[in-house]
Amino acid sequence: MTGDVVAESMAPPAAPATEPAPAAPDGVFLIHGLGGTQYDLGSMHKRLKNAGFVTHSLTLPGHGTRPEDLAGVSAEDWIEAVVTKYREVRGLHPRLHLMGMCMGSLLAAVLAQRERHAQGNLVLLAPPVYIDGWATPWYRGLRPLLYPVPGIGRTMKIEEEDPFGIKNEQLRAIVKAKFERGENFHYRWVPLECIRQVDRLRAILMKNAKHIGCQTLVIHAREDELTSLRSANFLVEQIGGGRARMVVLEDSYHMICVDNDREIVAKNVLEFFGAAMPGATSALANEPKMTPDALAAAVTATTEKLAAGDFTGLRDLAIPDLAWVQPGINRMSGAHSGKTFASFASRITQGHAPRFAGFGTPVFNRGVALVPATLVAQRDGATLQSQGALLLAFHGGKLLEARWFADEVEREDAFFGEPEAEAPGTVSLDAAFDAAALASKTLKKAPDNDTLLALYSLFKQASVGDVGGERPGALDMVNRAKHDAWSQRKAMGRDDAMKAYVDLVAQLKEGEGQ
Amino acid sequence: MHQLVVAVVVAAVYLALAAISTVVAYAPADAWTVWLSSGVVFGLLLSLPRARWVAVLAGGFVGATAFATWLGSPPLEAIGYGAIEVIASGGAALAVSRLTTLPILFERPRELVALILGGALPLAVTGAVLATAWHVAASSPSPMATFRVWVISNFIGTLLVAPMVIAWSQFRLRRSGGMTMPAFAAGAVACVLFLGSLWLLFDAPTSDRFGGSVGPTLTYAPMLFMALLALLWGTRGATLAAFVGALIVMVNTAQGEGPFAGVEGFLGEAELEVEGYALAIALMGLLIAVLSAAQRVAARTAREWQTRFDAAIGAHRLLAYEWDPATGRVVVTGDSLQLLGVAPARLATLADWLALVAGADRDRVATRFDERVRGQGEADTLTYPVAGAGGGALVATDEARVIRDHDGALHRIVGIVRIAPTVAQA
Repeated sequence: MTGDVVAESMAPPAAPATEPAPAAPDGVFLIHGLGGTQYDLGSMHKRLKNAGFVTHSLTLPGHGTRPEDLAGVSAEDWIEAVVTKYREVRGLHPRLHLMGMCMGSLLAAVLAQRERHAQGNLVLLAPPVYIDGWATPWYRGLRPLLYPVPGIGRTMKIEEEDPFGIKNEQLRAIVKAKFERGENFHYRWVPLECIRQVDRLRAILMKNAKHIGCQTLVIHAREDELTSLRSANFLVEQIGGGRARMVVLEDSYHMICVDNDREIVAKNVLEFFGAAMPGATSALANEPKMTPDALAAAVTATTEKLAAGDFTGLRDLAIPDLAWVQPGINRMSGAHSGKTFASFASRITQGHAPRFAGFGTPVFNRGVALVPATLVAQRDGATLQSQGALLLAFHGGKLLEARWFADEVEREDAFFGEPEAEAPGTVSLDAAFDAAALASKTLKKAPDNDTLLALYSLFKQASVGDVGGERPGALDMVNRAKHDAWSQRKAMGRDDAMKAYVDLVAQLKEGEGQ
Repeated sequence: MHQLVVAVVVAAVYLALAAISTVVAYAPADAWTVWLSSGVVFGLLLSLPRARWVAVLAGGFVGATAFATWLGSPPLEAIGYGAIEVIASGGAALAVSRLTTLPILFERPRELVALILGGALPLAVTGAVLATAWHVAASSPSPMATFRVWVISNFIGTLLVAPMVIAWSQFRLRRSGGMTMPAFAAGAVACVLFLGSLWLLFDAPTSDRFGGSVGPTLTYAPMLFMALLALLWGTRGATLAAFVGALIVMVNTAQGEGPFAGVEGFLGEAELEVEGYALAIALMGLLIAVLSAAQRVAARTAREWQTRFDAAIGAHRLLAYEWDPATGRVVVTGDSLQLLGVAPARLATLADWLALVAGADRDRVATRFDERVRGQGEADTLTYPVAGAGGGALVATDEARVIRDHDGALHRIVGIVRIAPTVAQA
């Protein structure tokens, strides 16, 4: 079955290396559940990437096609697939964490045990060591009687049913609609033979769990309808309290990465992986994983950008979820992170020509640097020179968060002006952009190539900024055309790109209506 | 090939149920107490797609013909019984398909009415009329007795078997979902009590086990357990238990045991009583299961409606409120916890709502609410600042309408409030 393994990586392809480059980021290997896809893990891929990790995943044998393809796949095939992928990527990172959801957590645990994983941590999300949840059917205990019956294992279907592992009614309605539309994010049923293989996998793990040697986090919902807390308790007891700990969720069913407690799951996972998150500067407890020289160089690079007034350029030095905290009660105030940081950078740059000057000597505390500075800005002939200090937090060579502390914040309030209330009924540009991005996927007819390139280039300019990287070769015609189209938008402002994108999508939708 | 397999299986099940019907035939009256076989043909017709109907009817024809031959009927007469089975079952299934949507889910009382009055009863009557005519044509004695026995035994048998076939044909193995384990366990207890009490009542001469009239009086007890079972296990459990329970009652009564066997005011009285008892068990279980399912469907529909409504107003950052000026009570709908940091239950009065309004504007907003009560501002829009979940300032745009009673008096004031962030927070 090895030949059937479809492996994919969310990271750029790289040649396997036994010694990772010193600056290589940590990696996370994510394994989905039975009959599922990466959808099982919700936004964990994105959250991990935004926190600076490289994520790796695979589509397990028998998955991603038709449920019938699961027949004939054994537990050993799944184990072999994850072991192969693990060996392929472990050399790429100084630390590689393992993480699995549902059956994927059984596989992650077996993988950790077999490979004597010590290069990182292990996260087990809703591991079904026992199939004994409150909504498991009354005949669940009879399944071993059916296993020996010839032919029945392949032909008998075990169906997914309401509540689909989701407590949140709205999310459940969405998942139900996806099933009804026939979207291929999760199999609607699996063959009985497949359940037999999961039972075998459970038996393998139950026998060997005590040999797992890495730090392990088990996250389990108290109301998990498929597998009770007994599973989590079993694993923690077997692995041992010194290495394993458990987080119990109170407002989710089985699919904990997409249900009500998904934020708690993400937070605990990121903390467990030692990822410093935006907003963590107050704790001052982050291990920066940077040498003092690297930290000083990062501060210098950041202050150079700020001295040039290149707020947008800060993103090149930061994690995608970079947070900027601007004090006061004015038009620029607030915590701006991720996508809203781009909006903030665009607004503060336009019409204010802001920059920082007069940098003092930085004071370091672990991954945090405090830098005295002066904010200089101009507006309608008036000049602002506001003294204060910048608090810059770094992790793994990346800027996580910047906080500006003004000595006289009232002066900045007066300079930037009062915050404007959004007019009732109006939609923010970000919201309009998101809605247009969604609407572009519902066009009844695919636009011509030029329009598609225009849509692509505007979307990338609005969401990423100026094009980067090398121009693809002449043989890679599609990506070359996309790269060229994006290049033509160079220096176009984020808001302008968003507006143009929204207008273009509206124009296309209107065209359909005629 | 598949059609042939279906026909053979139907014929085999038909004969098996015919054999059971023979076992429970009431010996003293020498009559069929129940005829179970027609129920499987009728039930399968209502469960399977039309493409399978020919195979099912062919199986029923073969089964009926073979059984009549086994009973000693000449070939032509036996074929006649086969034809009666096809016409009665096929016609009844066709009638039900006209009255309700197939497959029957047992979630609406209308489905049950269609099954009983549009299906089981016409099936029994049609079969009885045709069989009686056949008997008359063959110069058999007592055609009216044939009619009566055929109608009653077929009607009861069909009601015992067809719902069970329909309900179980929709059974699917699931990874999770459906009946919870506690419900299954409680239903199992009710099932044991139901079957156990029937066995206790009917598996011995009543006078030997219970003194006086205690035995006949206790025949109500299993009904209670059937009601519990139907509530907990639904249609599948209720129909299966009713089938097994009816067989316990009939087999023992045919053997001269149980409370009904002792009462024989006229020949066949016990048979009639046991038929009535079995019918009561089957109908009560079905009725309770269907009514219970209808309640669940209504609750599910309401929940889905609420989910859609919550999603719609949540996406627009809206809250809805209903204010009763007479009591001061407010009912807020929407995710006020997310938008304002206060759960809807904690916004129970107008004072609770006004507490969210920024201090400088609170009096102005309170005054406008008073004006709404006095009938000024039938359609009134008001904008005011409120505190957000994180303590930041938000803008509430409150559009209120007055609801009046039939006499024009103020009943409630209802409003839709849009909570908008400031630009800095957008």
